[in-house]
Amino acid sequence: MTAALGPDPARAALDARVLAWLREPGASNGATPRDDERFDALARALFAFQFEHCAPYRRFCEARGRTPGAVQHWREIPAVPTGAFKELALHSFPAERTAHVFRTSGTSTEQRGALHLDTLALYEASLLPSFRRGVLPDLALGARARLRVLAPPPAEAPESSLSHMFGVVVRTLGDEQSGFDVRGGVLDVRGLRDALEAACRGAVPVALCGTAFAFVHLIDALAAESARLALPTGSRVMETGGFKGRSRAVPRAELYEGIASALGVPPGRIVNQYGMTELGSQFYDSVLCDPDAPRRKLAPAWTRVRIVDPETGNDAEPGAIGIVQIVDLVNTGSVAAIQTADLGRAIDDGFDVLGREPDAEARGCSIAADEMLGA
Amino acid sequence: MSAAAAVEQALARLREAGAALRARPVAETHDALADVLDAWAAPGSPWQAELVAKLPETTGFSAETVREGLARGLARYDGAALRALVRAELGALENGNSGAAVFGFETTVAVLGGAIPLPTVVALLAPLALRAPVLVKPAAYDAVTPRLFARTLAERDPLLGACVEIVDFRRGDDDAMAALCRADAVVATGSDAAVAAIGARVGPPRRFVGYGHRFSVALLGPDATRGAACERSARDLALDVALWDQLGCLSPVSVLVADPDPGAADRVADALAGALRDLEPRMPRGCVESAAAAAIARERGEAEMRAAAGRPVRVLASPGTAWTVVHEADTQPRPTPLHRFVRIHPAPDLASAVASLHPQRAQLAAVALAGFGADEPAVANSLLALGASRVCAPGALQTPPLDWPRDGVGVLTPLARLGRYERER
Repeated sequence: MTAALGPDPARAALDARVLAWLREPGASNGATPRDDERFDALARALFAFQFEHCAPYRRFCEARGRTPGAVQHWREIPAVPTGAFKELALHSFPAERTAHVFRTSGTSTEQRGALHLDTLALYEASLLPSFRRGVLPDLALGARARLRVLAPPPAEAPESSLSHMFGVVVRTLGDEQSGFDVRGGVLDVRGLRDALEAACRGAVPVALCGTAFAFVHLIDALAAESARLALPTGSRVMETGGFKGRSRAVPRAELYEGIASALGVPPGRIVNQYGMTELGSQFYDSVLCDPDAPRRKLAPAWTRVRIVDPETGNDAEPGAIGIVQIVDLVNTGSVAAIQTADLGRAIDDGFDVLGREPDAEARGCSIAADEMLGA
Repeated sequence: MSAAAAVEQALARLREAGAALRARPVAETHDALADVLDAWAAPGSPWQAELVAKLPETTGFSAETVREGLARGLARYDGAALRALVRAELGALENGNSGAAVFGFETTVAVLGGAIPLPTVVALLAPLALRAPVLVKPAAYDAVTPRLFARTLAERDPLLGACVEIVDFRRGDDDAMAALCRADAVVATGSDAAVAAIGARVGPPRRFVGYGHRFSVALLGPDATRGAACERSARDLALDVALWDQLGCLSPVSVLVADPDPGAADRVADALAGALRDLEPRMPRGCVESAAAAAIARERGEAEMRAAAGRPVRVLASPGTAWTVVHEADTQPRPTPLHRFVRIHPAPDLASAVASLHPQRAQLAAVALAGFGADEPAVANSLLALGASRVCAPGALQTPPLDWPRDGVGVLTPLARLGRYERER
């Protein structure tokens, strides 16, 4: 698909304002001020644009009585549930300008969500400072890191936003020994071991990144060979994603213990990334950039996270569990306000994402929607 | 003492008590059980009052819901119903000089799930009616009902009381669960996955009976979609939805409106929303976990987006998450977040409505049926043939008879051991 028409001038202006923010020097170390006034102005301008250009979103907002004229603060912008991306193409540009489509992961029988993009510029500009701040906060400007990725390369998974993100990161921040260790859908354990052992010999710290399930595979594979690695000091792990649709689920604490045991990377140097196809921005644990404070996810300056009480739709009480809603200015081409399917809790200046307790006992004998989805 | 050791000891005591139970005339046991059921079913029953006082805290249901659900449900679980059940399921087997004999197992274990008390009563009653002692692992949300039932039994008949033991232990205690699964018969309720996991532990030659999660629907024909009949059906269905907060397998999650009139589903949706709204002050929805409340908010939002995309979808809902009616555009019933969340599906005719249930027929429990006039028996028969184990009128879903063949099997016979003496050479 190619861009056939020129960009909408209003949209181009919005993109330029967001890009300017993403490219500020302090973006990658958290020094960029949160600047609520700037965010609010930009969020409401973006809302007005998307209200005008995305017809389903406009009708959704009108049904809730939230029009650009009525919305006085970014908190009032209606958030679209992520499930809607499975049924609708939510874009704020003409369909013929679609340049890229990312799709959510899912089983063969499940309808997958899709994010339609007319440009990858904002997506790529936002992921790098967030990754640096969350995973490589100690990387000197201009320096490169040893990155090994437990996910398919972008060429093998062109619809995966995660693979695309890793592709940009490896290309921009990785050294010449960096690369991908899932090929043809299979984790190349032998190749990865060779790469990690080479790093050990050279005492080069490694940033090992991938999906949580890939790490489970790696731990199992190493255990099967009675192998343990002790990655060089300064190494770290970044894991992301859940276990939905997988053959087994491993609690996070157990996963981290397994990683520590198999790779010699302690839990304090394991970063969870919270992201989703429907969002341009990602959220990383604070353990590496703020190690002395409680683990929490930090929001980039161009995003805002609300923890919402599902009963009222208002902000949950501080510390209370609620629905995670995100306003992400990077989503200029789709919808900026997203209601995730996740529960979370605010922690200081960040938040935590809480999975549904896997062993939670049902209160009844009827089949709930979640149970059917998980089947 | 470990939980596993407690289970072993309880099973040993039950074997002893069970021997005494089998040694006495079965009529004495059935008389005592019938008396206990009558005591529980009686209007103003102190046992019901105790459950109403205690269950809301552990189950999350409102006291009004517990009161209404117990009064209606237990009314059909009386002594006469038990005698009829025994006659129906065991009478033919033991009839005359056929040489057939029916026994319970030496030990039966019931691993209970959920928060609804009525299935617990049946789980204790069934083995005892077969003179088999029962060891109960209560559900996490309801340790009250089995203990109270055991206490009632002990007051009426100490030997029956000795034939019920209750052990509780934390989830994940593998040793204790393994000890439970060494009983001669094991009954388990829960999600299909949980039931399968327990079943895998039991294995032959032991008997395993599992009850997984199921769902129910309503099917309304043209005679139930207009005027007073529509209002009445909606009121009755609202009760079916509200009782036990729609968490039971007999709770309707979808209403199929089989009517060529394109306005029929709209009328049903409006009437059902009004009935749920009217019911809320009298029988408030209980508490919901954060995940369930979030699921309701999410499903509502997604339905609103379908409407915004131009599909004929409407969301009728309370200000909070207390109740929700979504008038869908498609015919395909599917699960909801529960807690009083119903979907209305229009269908142009009966055939397409029944066909829409086909993909999920294995998990279909019951259908509330109305509005088909003289065709109703034939429609009911087609639903039973499809896989439902119950077809009843709206308003009756939550009051199954004691002999309801849940999951398509008998109440007593799955726990019975049959034998026959063949005299003739």
